Amino acid sequence: MKKYWRAYLISLQETLQRRSSLVMDRLGGIAVMLSLYYFWKTLLLGRTSFLGYSYSQMLTYVLGMNILRSFALTGRGWELVGEISSGKISSYLVRPLSYHGYALALDLSQKTVHLFAAFFEIGALLIFFHPPFYWPKSILSLFLFAGALLTASLLFFFLEFIVSSLAFWTSESGGPLFFFELFIQFAAGAFFPLDVLPRFLQKVLSLSPFPYLVFLPINIYLGRVGEGRAFQDLLISFVWTAVFGATSVYVWRKGLLSYSAEGG
Amino acid sequence: MNAISVNSLQKEYQVFNRKPGLWGSLGSVFWREWNKVKAVDSISFQIGEGELVGFLGANGAGKTTTLKILSGLLTPTSGQVEVLGFKPWRREREFQKRISLVMGQRTQLWWEIPAQETFRLNQAVYGLSDKQYQESLGELVEMLELKDYLAVPVKKLSLGQRMRAELAAALLHRPKILLLDEPTLGLDVVMQKKVREFILEYNKKWRASILLTSHNMDDLTALCPRVLILEKGKLIYDGNLESLIRRYAENKIIKIVFEGDVSASKIAALGGTFDSQKTTMLVSVPRADVSKKAAFLLSSFPVADLTIEEPSVDEIVRKIFSKT
Amino acid sequence: MKKYLLVWWKMSSMSLMAQVSHPLGSIGFLLGKIVRVVFFFAFIIAIFRHVKSLAGYSLEETALFFLTFNIVDISAQILFRGIYNARRAVTEGDFDFYLIQPCSALFRLSLTTFDFLDALTLLPVLWMTLDILDRLSVSLFSLRAFLYLLLTLNAVAIASSFHIFVAGLAVRTQELENTIWIYRDIMFMGRFPSEVYGPMFQLFLTFVIPIAVMTTFPVRAFLGLLSWKWMGYSFSLSTILMGASFWFWKSSVRQYTSSSS
Repeated sequence: MKKYWRAYLISLQETLQRRSSLVMDRLGGIAVMLSLYYFWKTLLLGRTSFLGYSYSQMLTYVLGMNILRSFALTGRGWELVGEISSGKISSYLVRPLSYHGYALALDLSQKTVHLFAAFFEIGALLIFFHPPFYWPKSILSLFLFAGALLTASLLFFFLEFIVSSLAFWTSESGGPLFFFELFIQFAAGAFFPLDVLPRFLQKVLSLSPFPYLVFLPINIYLGRVGEGRAFQDLLISFVWTAVFGATSVYVWRKGLLSYSAEGG
Repeated sequence: MNAISVNSLQKEYQVFNRKPGLWGSLGSVFWREWNKVKAVDSISFQIGEGELVGFLGANGAGKTTTLKILSGLLTPTSGQVEVLGFKPWRREREFQKRISLVMGQRTQLWWEIPAQETFRLNQAVYGLSDKQYQESLGELVEMLELKDYLAVPVKKLSLGQRMRAELAAALLHRPKILLLDEPTLGLDVVMQKKVREFILEYNKKWRASILLTSHNMDDLTALCPRVLILEKGKLIYDGNLESLIRRYAENKIIKIVFEGDVSASKIAALGGTFDSQKTTMLVSVPRADVSKKAAFLLSSFPVADLTIEEPSVDEIVRKIFSKT
Repeated sequence: MKKYLLVWWKMSSMSLMAQVSHPLGSIGFLLGKIVRVVFFFAFIIAIFRHVKSLAGYSLEETALFFLTFNIVDISAQILFRGIYNARRAVTEGDFDFYLIQPCSALFRLSLTTFDFLDALTLLPVLWMTLDILDRLSVSLFSLRAFLYLLLTLNAVAIASSFHIFVAGLAVRTQELENTIWIYRDIMFMGRFPSEVYGPMFQLFLTFVIPIAVMTTFPVRAFLGLLSWKWMGYSFSLSTILMGASFWFWKSSVRQYTSSSS
C-alpha cells in the first residue's frame, strides 16, 4: 500500500512542477465553462425554468460541469497509450506492483490537483460574480453526490483504461482514444444536460454507463432526482463500475500476453 | 583560405537548479535559481579544405556544442567563427546548402515511410534538379550499399541500415563541410568499419572538410590524422594523432582471461590489476613490447582469452589534462 | 516560392503515406472530428426546438455562426497542425534539422504534419455554409458575401498569428506545451455569436482576445450588421497581430540559438 501512496506523492510533485501547463489547462477549462454559462444565461433570458431546470439549477449545472470534468473526465489515457507503445510498460511489469493500482494512484494525484483548482475557480466565481448558485437542500443529497462523484471518477478511469489498452494490439490507438474522449463529452452530459436531446436518444443513453459520469451526479446534487431514486442510480453506477473494472483487468491481462515490446 | 576558422570562441548558457522533494517543487513554482555554465571556453583553431579532423573529449566537454555552433544551430557568446566565409549563425541559404550535420542519436528520416521519401523531400529542400538528385543518389546508394533498403519503411531498418540511410539523406546535396556527431555510436564493429570507410571515401572524392566527434578511439585512429581535444570547454590539444598517441598513450592494455587458477605470486610479478571477479587481468604494456609480452603470456599461462586494447579516451584526456 | 510549394507538396504526400500506414488511428481521428461538428450542430438544432431565437438570432443565423467558426478553426488547423507537435519536434531534435536546412523552419514546423482528414472535414462544412448563406436570401455574388469571405480570411490570418506565437513559445520555453490546447478551449467561445456573452464580455472578446472579430464579425457583415469602422478595425488588427507574431517567432529562434546547448 505504501508504494502506491509514494507513487501518488511523486506524481503530485510532478504535476505541480509543470506549473505553466497546469495553469493553461485550467484556463482552458474556465473558458469553456464561461462560454457555456453565458450561453445558457442568454438562452434563459425571460424564463424561470427550462426543461424542468430552474434558473439557478441550470446555471449550477454548467458550473458543476467544471468540477465533474476535472474529476470524472480527466485521466492519463494518452500517457498510458504512450507508455504501452514505447515499451516503457515493461519496466513496470518487472516490479512487484499492480499496474492498475499504480495507474490509479497517478490518476488520483492528477485529479486531486485539478479538483482543488476547480473548487478554487468556482469559489472565486461565487465571490466575485454572485451567480445564482443552487445549494442542496439536504445533507443526504450532498453525500449521495459525493458518492456518485467518486464512482464516476472510477468508472471513467476504467473506461479510459480499456480504450488505452488498445495500444497493446495496434500502434494506432490514438485515434480511438481521441474519438472516445469527444464522444463521451456529449454522451455524459458534459456539454449540456441530456434533457435537451429528444426522448428516444435520452432513453438509449440511459442504458449506457455514460450519463453516470456527469449528468447523473450533477442531477443528484441539484436534487432533481428523488433520494430513493438516487440510491438506485448510485447502485447502478456501482454495477457499471464493477463491470468495467473487471473488463479492464481482463483486457489488461490479455494485452500483456500479446505484448511484443517495441522500441529500441 | 581556411574552410573553417575559429577564434576565441566562447559559449555560455544558463541552467536552473531545482531543490529535491515535494517542498522543493512547490517552491520552484514561485522562484528559481540560475547557474551559468561555460560550454566552450575560448577555443581557436583552423581547418583547411579537405581536412579530416577529429574532435575528442569526454561527455560534456563541449564537442557537440562546438559542432552546433559551426553548423549555425547555436550563436556563440563571443569570438569569431567563419565557415566557408560565412558566419554560421546567420543561417544564410547559400551557407546551409554547403554544409551538413549528422547527429548519431537523431534522425531526420521520417519513421513510418521509406527512406527514399525523405531523400525526395531533401531534394526539394535543397533545390536539387532531378539530374543532380539522381546522380548524387546513385553514388550514395552504391557507396553505402543501400539498394535493397530504399523502399523499406525506416522503422523496419536495423540501426546500421538506418545510419547509412541517414548519411545518404545528409549528403545528397554534396556539402563541402560535413559535421558528424558520434556517427558510430551504438553500431556494431562491422558497421562501424563500414561507416568509417564511407567517410574516408567521401572525403577523398569530394575534398570535403570533415569534422567528427567521438569518444571512440578507433574512429579517430582510422580516420583522423589530426585531432582536437576538448576538456571542460577548453582546447587542450591540437595536433597530429600519432604523436598524441606516442606521447600520451605510450602503453597499450592487454586484457587476459585466465583459465582456471593461477599462482598469485606469478600474477603479482606481472604487475597487472585484477577485476573484481579475479578472472580478468589488465596489464599496461609499452607499445613496442606488446607482441612480445602477449606471446610470453600465452605461452606461460593458461589463457582463455587475450585482447589488446587502446587506452580509453578518458585516460588519455586525464593524462593530458594533468600535464597541462 | 515554387520551392516552398514543392516542399509542401512533398511533406503532405509523406504525411498521407504515414497516415495510410495506420488506418485505424486515422479513422478514429476522423470520426472524432466529425463527432465534434455533428453533435454540436445537433445540439443547436435540439435547442431550437425549445426556443425561437438566441440573442436575437434565428436558427439559421445561429448555425451560420457555428459554421463560420468551424471554417476558421479547421483552416487554421490545416495550415498549422504541426504546431501541436512543436514541442516534440524541438525536444526530439527535428527542429534542429529544420534550422540547419535551407528552408524556413517555421514553415517546416507548421506544415510537416499536414492532415488530409482536416481538409476532408472542411468540405462538408463549406457546403453546409453555402447552403445556409443561400437560405438567408442574400446573393452569393453580393458585396455582403464578398465581405463575409474577406473577413473570414482575415479571421484565418488572426488564427495564424496565434499559432505562430505558440510556435515561438514552443521553441523558446520547452515548458508551455499546453498553450495550443488553451487556444482550442478559448476558441470554444467562438461557437456562439458574441452577443451571447453580454456587453462587457463582448468588449473583451473584441479587443483583448479577438474571437468575436474572428467568428462573429464575418456573419454580421453578411447580415448587413457590421459598420465600416469595425471592418477597418478587423483588418488592421490582423495586420498588427501577424507582424507581432512573426517578430516574436524570430526573437524566439534567436533566443533558442543563443541559450540552448
